Amino acid sequence: MLRYYFMLGLRSLRRNPALTALMVLTLAIGVAASVSTLTILHVMSGNPLPHKNGRMFVPLLDNGPLAGYTPGEELRDNQVSYRDAVNFQNSKMGERRSVMYSIAGTIEPQNKNLDPFGLQGIAAYRDFFPMFETPFLYGQPWSEADDTAGADVIVLSRKLAEKLYGNSNPVGQRMSLMGFQFQVTGVLDTWDPVPRIHNIASGGAFGSEDGYFIPFTSAIRHQVTNDGHMSCSGDREPGYQGTLDSECTWLQFWFEMASDGQRGELQNYLDSYAQEQRKLGRLKRNAPNQLFSISEWLQYLHVVGNDNKLSAWLAFGFLALCLVNTIGLLLAKFSVRASEVGIRRALGAARADIFRQFLIETTVIGLVGGVLGLLLAFGALALIGMQSKQLTVAAHMDWVMLTMTFVISVAAAILAGLLPTWRACQVTPAIQLKSQ
Amino acid sequence: MEIRPILSALMRSKTGAILVAVQVALSLAILANALHIVNVRQEVAARPSGVAAENDVFHLLSRNLRKLDNNEEVALQKRLAAAVRAVPGVVSVAQVSQVPLSRSGSTSGLSTDRKQSKSSANVAIYASPDSLIKTWGLQLVEGRDFTPSEIVDIDQNVTDQFPPQVIVTRALADKLHPGGGSALGMPLFMGAGEDAQQLQVIGVVERLQTQGAEVGDRGESSLIYPVRLSGDGDTLLTVRTEPGQRERVMKEAEQAVRAATPDKLIVRLRSLNDDREKRYRADRALSWMLITVSALLLLVTASGIVGIASLWVTQRRKQIGVRRALGARRIDILRYFLTENFMITSLGVAAGVLLALALNQLLVSQLEMARLPLPYLLGGALVFWLLGLGAVYGPAWRAASISPATATRST
Repeated sequence: MLRYYFMLGLRSLRRNPALTALMVLTLAIGVAASVSTLTILHVMSGNPLPHKNGRMFVPLLDNGPLAGYTPGEELRDNQVSYRDAVNFQNSKMGERRSVMYSIAGTIEPQNKNLDPFGLQGIAAYRDFFPMFETPFLYGQPWSEADDTAGADVIVLSRKLAEKLYGNSNPVGQRMSLMGFQFQVTGVLDTWDPVPRIHNIASGGAFGSEDGYFIPFTSAIRHQVTNDGHMSCSGDREPGYQGTLDSECTWLQFWFEMASDGQRGELQNYLDSYAQEQRKLGRLKRNAPNQLFSISEWLQYLHVVGNDNKLSAWLAFGFLALCLVNTIGLLLAKFSVRASEVGIRRALGAARADIFRQFLIETTVIGLVGGVLGLLLAFGALALIGMQSKQLTVAAHMDWVMLTMTFVISVAAAILAGLLPTWRACQVTPAIQLKSQ
Repeated sequence: MEIRPILSALMRSKTGAILVAVQVALSLAILANALHIVNVRQEVAARPSGVAAENDVFHLLSRNLRKLDNNEEVALQKRLAAAVRAVPGVVSVAQVSQVPLSRSGSTSGLSTDRKQSKSSANVAIYASPDSLIKTWGLQLVEGRDFTPSEIVDIDQNVTDQFPPQVIVTRALADKLHPGGGSALGMPLFMGAGEDAQQLQVIGVVERLQTQGAEVGDRGESSLIYPVRLSGDGDTLLTVRTEPGQRERVMKEAEQAVRAATPDKLIVRLRSLNDDREKRYRADRALSWMLITVSALLLLVTASGIVGIASLWVTQRRKQIGVRRALGARRIDILRYFLTENFMITSLGVAAGVLLALALNQLLVSQLEMARLPLPYLLGGALVFWLLGLGAVYGPAWRAASISPATATRST
């Protein structure tokens, strides 16, 4: 019977092609608009390391000056000072830990056909790689001894490695970065998490891949300046050492605990650390010391902007409009079939049968609208992606959104079909037959 | 006019009318807010930067691969500026620490009293040993430009003590001293607290946007120091060319700086227009999205009205035939449908205005958008009245064309 109703539904779509086309198109446009904006929202607020959400934390301390501070004031910073970062790094808390900052260095290729070029990279500890689960194409991270010694070793991105060395394995090679010779210990395979959680605070949530990675200790030894945001509320002596000694915040820090549920332990450490520092005359504001899990961090940094939320809201308002529109059109379509319903009822069809038949017909419309909506959504996403580099990375549909599209469109069609279907069931066979 | 019979007919089949009214209300609410947001964004993107001939301005950033000591670096800066100045078609060149709309540079807090513990304004810090007023064509509204004797060389690795003379923007002067009067003598301090450095305002320019070009007076709060900054190995030059010559001059300027030193350089060129485009790209993307949605909105609503009106015409074929047979003219039938539609649309418009205000309230409180001015609602109402009449005209004309004979003959 279902099959039969399905065939009936298909046939009825053909009976009134203009009206059907209008309905399918309306539904498709509404679905496409909401799905494409939702996709962007979904990807932007995605967590590339969902399984580590309860284990990885960003610590923040309020180390601003006391002057001009009102207790209870919200913390507006999102990085830590050099002094705190080094102390965290030496704390041995958790399974892994790494401080990091963005650097920009000049690379002078050995290949004389290539001009020197500037490229952004990251200075971090060895733990950075396993913590963010970076895939390695060749080699491995540098050793702990390299971290301690501040050795000039480097991990390249796949793109940079291919640019400098072609397709050969460059591990062990030496290359010139910022005028110093670095030895390649590994090459990452393409690693482009969206959003770039490891570097939102300084490099932005969306953007291009990191070109290379060097030990934090090496970067500090060479006095490599920060290529990201720096916030200084207190005094700072001029020069590199002045920055290191200051309360300026310019470093990001990540802890990874061995298992979920160790947040309390880390919080205790952070509180006692802050207490200790207060004894030394720092952290005078006595503000709460905060920890952020990955998802809390994304929220704290407003990774999904107001504009994206606005787009999604409007798109759903638009979908609502399309729904109302479809209700009206379905009503029109079904009402001219009152006599058909009358005859079927007179021949013994129960109300439930009529209900089922018409509901299946609307589902067919929903499915067709969904397919078309999906195609339109792909087009819309391609258009949106062209608008800005930031959105290009976000404008990709995944399986979750693909299924969502169908669920949304079929649900929308069924929702829209409920009232007209119910009205069609109300047809009294006697009156319909009499008027024939 | 036959309002009573129309009303009573509507009361007998409310569903269709309500559906049309709901569509009009939803569309009006979304349309008014969307167009308003588009307009606000357009205004923000159209704000002048303060640079007079934006089309003719570009920036050249050069980085020396060899590490230089401070004397060498200052000498190189002067040599590069001179090399660019010699390129034919160049009107003016200035070395500068940052440029407007580029989204990268430094800001600092200012206060108006040493007793203040918190700064009263955050300003963009421009430092240039040349005349930005000349190169960028800034409009000096008070005081004077810097004199050559005021210009100081500062190695940022050695000191952060800047000279006291500064030029500020009018927006900044007005913000710090809302009382008006001359900004030249006003007390002004770099930083806040006891050890803030006193500044001396020697000139006021009409406008110079910050590197972020933020919305509101924050984006217009800039300050210029007569300082040649060195110490980070980078030289940023801003160049104004003869009108229409920018592209050519950019190419030749790059060759000129490369030829000016035996060292290897990394050179990056960007026009002010490039920066402007990047700064407002997100706003433009949103505007396009909203305009697209608005157009689709009108289309969908119109199609909905056509659909429902066609349904009514089909349903009332017989009645129309009877009316025609009893002496109603075509124009009467046409007028009946137009009036009916106008009444429904008006209902939708009334609901839509309320909905638009509610939606705006939500946007203001949740997403920090601006308040909706009245003309958008009035304009929106007018659009939907016209749209309604336009959409119903086709079906109504078909109804009017029904011949009384055929309409009453069958069944």
